[in-house]
This record gives sequence, structure tokens and C-alpha cells, in this order.
Amino acid sequence: MAMSFIHSFQSEWLKKKRSLASWIVIIGAFFTPVIIIIARIAQHNKLQLIYASDDFWIVLWKSSWESMAIFLLPLGVILSTSLITQIEYKNNTWKQLHTLPLKLTTIFFSKLSVIMVMMLQFFIFFNIAIYLSAVIPYLIISGVTFPKAPIPYLFFLKENTLFFISCLPIIALQYLMSLKYKNFLVSVGFGFIFWVGALASLSWKFGYVIPYTYCMYNYLKDSPGGKVIRPALNIYNLAISYFVVITILSYILYITKKEKG
Amino acid sequence: MEVNLKMNCLETNKLVHSFSKKDIVLNDINLQVIEGSIYGFLGPNGAGKTTTLRLILGLLKKQQGEILIFGKKFENNRISILKNIGSLIESPSLYGHLTAVENLTLLQKVYQCPKKRIQEVLNLVGLPDTGKKKTSQFSLGMKQRLSIAIALLHKPSLLILDEPTNGLDPNGIIEVRELLIKLNVEEGITIIISSHLLSEIEKLVTHVGVIHKGKMMFQGTLDELKSKKEQSLFIVFETNDIEKTMQVIAGNDLTAKVEEGKVIMPYASRKIIAEINRQLIKNDVEVYEISIIKNDLETIFMNLINN
Repeated sequence: MAMSFIHSFQSEWLKKKRSLASWIVIIGAFFTPVIIIIARIAQHNKLQLIYASDDFWIVLWKSSWESMAIFLLPLGVILSTSLITQIEYKNNTWKQLHTLPLKLTTIFFSKLSVIMVMMLQFFIFFNIAIYLSAVIPYLIISGVTFPKAPIPYLFFLKENTLFFISCLPIIALQYLMSLKYKNFLVSVGFGFIFWVGALASLSWKFGYVIPYTYCMYNYLKDSPGGKVIRPALNIYNLAISYFVVITILSYILYITKKEKG
Repeated sequence: MEVNLKMNCLETNKLVHSFSKKDIVLNDINLQVIEGSIYGFLGPNGAGKTTTLRLILGLLKKQQGEILIFGKKFENNRISILKNIGSLIESPSLYGHLTAVENLTLLQKVYQCPKKRIQEVLNLVGLPDTGKKKTSQFSLGMKQRLSIAIALLHKPSLLILDEPTNGLDPNGIIEVRELLIKLNVEEGITIIISSHLLSEIEKLVTHVGVIHKGKMMFQGTLDELKSKKEQSLFIVFETNDIEKTMQVIAGNDLTAKVEEGKVIMPYASRKIIAEINRQLIKNDVEVYEISIIKNDLETIFMNLINN
């Protein structure tokens, strides 16, 4: 079982080569840092002050995540998860996949694992891009000193983990929708509606019931109050619970499907 | 006496399937595919061929009946059975953004067959060097060939091909036919090949199953089907007096019918035909023409599905 899972995973990983889903991971990871690099080069006269700050890395981290947590990450997860299953629909390959000597469980979890590993890949690329967004302006603009403040690795690791956990319910729900519906627009449209709903419900005291809010809550957890009502519950536990329940439901729907390609 | 000890490679018993209560697409399908044979599964479009093959491969949930492959029940031995089956169902299943080698590599990883097998099957189907060309840029014929290569990658002992010559030019059809015969003869692979054209596969198959509107109309060897050809020869008499002609034929203990002003009777020996001709002339009937209607296999096939 373990070996067939590894072989199936390798096969699934190869399928995403040159696909739109894999491009989204790369473009999504470098998009905000590139904007930051351009902005800093444009405002080069302020750089000395910014780079000398003691909380340089935390400020950079926060500004890198601003649009990412609210906008790019949820939408990127919606798109890339739906695109992974769309590879099979678009190429009419479900029937071939289901005639391979693989258990349906193996197929289900190897596909889900590819999506999860793609997410990890995104986080690694994004962290590298954040680092580059600090280094490149320093190399280009003369007179700027490299930040003296040490890189807060543990803070970065902890925040990466929390953002990853916050994404899990979106992955699970999008995976369920994309397995259930052949039409790409159904799963993406569903995800988009949930994302808009999540944005709208941030000021609602029960906003945490919408699983697409957790990335936003995680980013806004240290921000001054404003209109956002912070959930009283632990959103990470909720995210994991949602992920487990939705994945089980998705698995049941998948293995009981009458037509398999 | 020659005793056939070969077992059935594939067998379905009383297979019934419906997509809704009113729409029974398969009714009591009993396929028997003998090991080492090339089984032509024939029927017009919508007859139930693809549904049967999809059931056999587990792509549709079985509702009623039994499917035995390599002597084992499919539902209890799905993985071990699928390890030995290569298939091509309807249109080619290829990842358009990948090359031919990449398409085969991702399956090689699942089957864990040697990497050199990829080039072997590409050579076998006549696609030895497609390089970095993505399969979405392939012609339909190339896609079909690559799909056959995929089906052969893991050296299956049973090959299930649903209309594999779709989109191939006449030369391509001949090449695929020769390839399948070679695989059958040299490697002993049992092949099930579906088609809606008998002419397309009659030079290839050893056994034939004819399905129409979800029912099996015929199943047997190609020779048995050909013997139906002899049974379906007719003699046509064109005379000036149909009534007298019918009487003469009836007098020889033969039945005849009238179609388009001609008298048609089942095939009989030359001696009997000469005798009937003599009697007609004796009865002052003017005989203008005596001819034979030869039914080809296609006509027999059409007769089977029309009856």
C-alpha cells in the first residue's frame, strides 16, 4: 500500500508539470515580493531608514502577507486545487486513471497529497521571495546597509505553519467540489462565492463558521480591532476539524461514485 | 478428436445494466472470450458495447450479473486483474500538456515496468521519435497509436480496445491490425476489440460477438459466422409467370417468396436448379434470368441486428 502510494504520488506529481496549477504556485509566490522590490527601488530614498529598523524582517513579513493572506492565497488555493482535478477532466483521463491497478483510496489521497505538497512548495518559494525582496534592493541601491536585525526564523516558521493550517479547509472543500463537478467554473465559482462571503463575514461574530476566513483571521490577529471581530474559538483547531470532516466526506463521495470516467 | 482445453479469459454472466428504470442498456449479456483469441465485439453505435467494456473494467458500478476475468471475480480481485489488462476506451486518454514519453513515464511509475519499455512500445506503434512535441499537438491517428502504446506498456495478457482504429487512415488501420495480430500470435495476448464495422475487423478476429440494443444477437467463431453466409445464399428466378414458377418450386419441396417481381428461393444444388428450370420450360414459362444472391458478412451482420 505504501509503495503503491509513493508510485501513484510520483505519477500525479508528473502530471502537474507545465500545468497552469504549477505556474500559479510560482507566480503566486513571487508576485507580492516582486511588487515590494519595485516599490522599494522606486522609493529608494527611504530605504536606509527602513533597512536600519530593528523590526525590519517583521515589517517586511507583514507587508508581504497583507495582500497574500486576504486575497492571493485563498484565491490561489481555490484555483490550483480545482486545476489539479481539472487535468483529468480536461484530458478525459479519469477512465485511464481508474483502470490502473491502484486502489481508489490511493488515487484519492495521492492527488490530495500533490495539492498539499504544492502548498508547501508555495510557502517555500514565498519565503525565498520575501528574503530576495530584502536582498535585491540592498544590492541594487547603493548606500543601503543590510538589515542588522537577525532573521526571526522561528517566527517565520510558526506563521508559515499557521497560514498552512488556515488553508486546509479551503483545500478540502475545493477538492471535494472539483471531484464532484466536472465543470471547472462550478468549483471555482463556489470558491469565489465563499471567499467573498468570508470577506463580508469578518465583522460578523460567527464569521469563523465560514472555513475560508481563517487565512484572513490569521493575518489580522495582531492588527488593531477595526471592523473585524476576532473569533473567540481557536481557529486552527476549527481549520483542522473542518479539513478532516470535509476530507472524509469527499472520500466517501469519491469512492461511491457510480461512474468513474 | 481435438479437445479445446483453453479456458475463458473473460466471462460475463447475465450482465444487466440500466441508467434509469426505463432505460435498460444491457440485458442478459453473456460474453465468453477464450484465452488467446481475438474477440470482435460488434454492434451499431449505441448498442451497448462501450457500456459492457466499461463494466468489465470497473468504470461503471455493476448492477446485476457476474464478471469473471482470468477466472476470478472482478469485484474481489480488481487490482490483480487490472495489473494484467491494457485498455483503450473510446477516445484517447492523454495528458495534452505532456510529451509522449512523459505520458508513458507517469504510467511506468505506477506499473513499475522497466524504463526501456517506454521506447519499446513507442517503436512498436510507430512513434519512435516525437521528441518534445506535446500530445495536444498530435493528430488523432498519433493519439490513437500512443493510446495503444499505453495499453501495451505493462505487457498485459488481456487487451481491451474500444474502437481503436477511430481516426486512423486506411494505412494506419492496416498497421494497427497487423500489430494486434502480431501481439496475439507472438505474445499470446487475448484481445477484445469493439467496432461498429464488421468489414474493419473481419480480417483480424477469431471470434465474434454481436450486440444490438443491449442484447447479444450472436456469439461464436468467425467460421460460425461465415457458415451463416452460406445459409443466407438465395436463388432468384425472373420469369414471365410468377404463379407457375412458385408452383414448380413448391412441387420440388422448396419454399419461395416473391420480391420485386422476382421469385426467390433458398440456395439449392446446381442439379435441382437445372431440374426446376427444365420444369418451368416444360410448363411454358419463359425464364429470363436465374441468379444467386451472395450475402457478404456485412449483410449477415445487418440481418442479425435487424432481426
